[in-house]
Amino acid sequence: MKGIVLRVAVLLVSCGTVAAQGLDPATLLEPPADSWPMYHGDYSGQRHSSLGQITPANVHQLTLAWAFQTGQTTQIKATPILANGILYITTPDNVWALDARSAHQLWRYTYPTNQGFHIGHRGAAVYKESVYLTTPDAHLVSLNAKDGKVKWDAVIADSKKGYWSTNAPLLIRDHLIVGVSGDFDNLPGILRSFDPETGKPQWTFYSTPPLGAPDSISGGATGGQMWMTGTYDPALNLLYVGTGNPTPTLNGKMRPGDNPWTCSILAVNPDSGKLAWGFQASPHDTHDWDAAEVPVLVDGNFNGMPRKMLMQASRNGYFFVLDRTDGKSLLTVPFATANWTSGVDKDGRPIPSVAKEPARDGRLIAPDEAGGTNYRSPSFDPRTGLFIVSARDAYGIYFYKPEHGAYGWAGADYGVYGNGVLRAIDYQSGKVRWNHELGTGAGAGVLTTDSGLVFTGDASGNVMALRTSDGTTLWHSAIGSVGTSPVTYELDRRQYLVVGGGGVLYAFTLPANK
Amino acid sequence: MSKVLSALMFSICVGAVLCAQNPAPAAPARGGRQAAPPAAEQGGGRGAQSPASQRPPQTTKPQEYAAEQVRAGRTVFSSQCGFCHGRDAAGGESGPDLTRSSVVAEDLRGNKIAPVLRNGRVDKGMPAFNLTPSEVAAIVAFIHDQKTKAESEQGGRRAVDLADLQTGDAEAGRQYFNGAGGCAKCHSPGGDLAGVAKKREGLVLLQRMLYPTGGRGGPAPAPATVIVTLASGQTISGKLAYRDEFVIALTDADGWYRSWPANQVTFMVNNPLEAHAAQLGKYTDDDMHNVLAYLQTLK
Repeated sequence: MKGIVLRVAVLLVSCGTVAAQGLDPATLLEPPADSWPMYHGDYSGQRHSSLGQITPANVHQLTLAWAFQTGQTTQIKATPILANGILYITTPDNVWALDARSAHQLWRYTYPTNQGFHIGHRGAAVYKESVYLTTPDAHLVSLNAKDGKVKWDAVIADSKKGYWSTNAPLLIRDHLIVGVSGDFDNLPGILRSFDPETGKPQWTFYSTPPLGAPDSISGGATGGQMWMTGTYDPALNLLYVGTGNPTPTLNGKMRPGDNPWTCSILAVNPDSGKLAWGFQASPHDTHDWDAAEVPVLVDGNFNGMPRKMLMQASRNGYFFVLDRTDGKSLLTVPFATANWTSGVDKDGRPIPSVAKEPARDGRLIAPDEAGGTNYRSPSFDPRTGLFIVSARDAYGIYFYKPEHGAYGWAGADYGVYGNGVLRAIDYQSGKVRWNHELGTGAGAGVLTTDSGLVFTGDASGNVMALRTSDGTTLWHSAIGSVGTSPVTYELDRRQYLVVGGGGVLYAFTLPANK
Repeated sequence: MSKVLSALMFSICVGAVLCAQNPAPAAPARGGRQAAPPAAEQGGGRGAQSPASQRPPQTTKPQEYAAEQVRAGRTVFSSQCGFCHGRDAAGGESGPDLTRSSVVAEDLRGNKIAPVLRNGRVDKGMPAFNLTPSEVAAIVAFIHDQKTKAESEQGGRRAVDLADLQTGDAEAGRQYFNGAGGCAKCHSPGGDLAGVAKKREGLVLLQRMLYPTGGRGGPAPAPATVIVTLASGQTISGKLAYRDEFVIALTDADGWYRSWPANQVTFMVNNPLEAHAAQLGKYTDDDMHNVLAYLQTLK
């Protein structure tokens, strides 16, 4: 009860300050309860909320507060961003600004027609009085948060070369950090920082060297795109980001060695763009297994020692726990079916089995191209120590022959079978505490709350609340294909759950007090 | 039960049942230059071959499109379709090479392509698209233009040729089929698999051997089944029509869809494909190639 009173007090104070001057980047260090001001909700990437109004005992009463129709067939894959009582939701080329209380539309911005891939969008970013959108043709657009008018439009990368962006930018003080995609072409992996006020570039970090650069360590690989939003440790002043697959993608012959820093977890100084350390989740990847998944930051004990940790459930089917001060491995263990390694090396890196590289006559490999998990966010629950991830046990067949060449995909692969399971992993042992079947292929992320709830979606279009301790279903609603990672916040002393189903955004809450 | 099992093996899964619920046209893949077979013949003859393992189907009726429309189509295609199907329509991340698609080969100014765009192919992961008529026309123009270009070129970027898959030992495959693989528990070379190599070959045969679904080389033969027992003790059986954590549904003998809250009835699903899924973790790559070689002898 005391906690609730305190939270209300904080809420009232923060409402006042936030509303007066837009979103102060300092509030991102400790986001108030009436906000979800960045992609992961906070810098840790835990997607764990301290809100406790919705509990295992009352979650079955959840009821619809509002539904917002985008009017598009495009599935919402973005995380909604909430600041100053306004909710920003995106699809490729689009931002809607909504009243978070009613879903009343304040404005909509539509980016001009372009040729970039419209495959998905992760979300907007906010800073002071601006809202930012990355675009399919790899631009970064700054909009006035009040009316959606364009302030400036900066080029992140050249879309004519094959770059595009789905990225939800990460704001660290006065750095707006954005990534791009691009694995259909042999392109260097880039992450860039822009001045959020002016759009002026601040730095560019290369995960693989720009063409023609001397002293290449990548072994001839390009790629390693940083297409997912990173996390940040303010005390260490390090940005953590995962990198994508090397190119050529399935043809590993043309790029001998481990191909750093593709399929890696990297720590980068957000002021200079300089690499602090790197850990390769998939050395010499030949299966399109990006390590772009969320690097979740957790402070806690590991084997009795207090540690600053980083955890990732990676697309290659392995769960990693690292010491995030130096990138040294604490734990490497498979969390999904994986048959592509011949062991784990002394540094905690899986050793790729030569026999499971794509071949002319095909290789049966687990996981498949879509991976043991993908961009959908996991959640870490500090109370139980469970890392909860939407996992897949899947097989694919992979082909490569010299005729496939050395450009872009350079091979062929076909999914055979996959089964989706929500998996709760004990982070200290890597043991699976519980499984919850989701169907053939779930596309939702995960949210946990302090009250002991897990929110996610299954493959059949149900959003669900499970009990964190054992994975038992406590509530569900059939809202259509859930492609978002659910978020929660508190407004007017009511806790909301906001989640996308198809092209509609839904808000659920408990019935109002009488 | 074993009779039911054998009848259903090498057949269909839950996903294929879902496929039947979506009226999107199935992929009538075909080869050669002959005219398109009617959709009902998709399962047999050359109608079931992989677009990627053989010569691509040729355009039934050559069509010309204005350069301006093709250019407009490139823009829309690249943005809406390019991630999955490639910017050049020759295959991307997860989507097939459309220049080898029989839907495209048989299409006349959008009559086959437009319904796929509008309805999607939800069972295969393709969403429905909300496009204007002029956007659809432009996409159609672009795809035909790309196909025309592809027909003048050799080879395929993501092709798997029949010859690539001939590394197995048929005798070792036969032994695995009858022994360690357990295939003979449900299948027989003189029964359900008689002449299978005449019906399918190459990549499609391999894919269906590993996990047969309706999307790979012709329609799915028969559905999984379920027996539902109501609280009253009455039992109802039929084809499994839908299943998630909360609802179980079947198509009964009269063809009606019937559903129940999953927690208010008991039910037993018989999905013979579970054996295929379990086998994926047991095959070595040699086993896989050997069994394929054996199946190729069943002509």
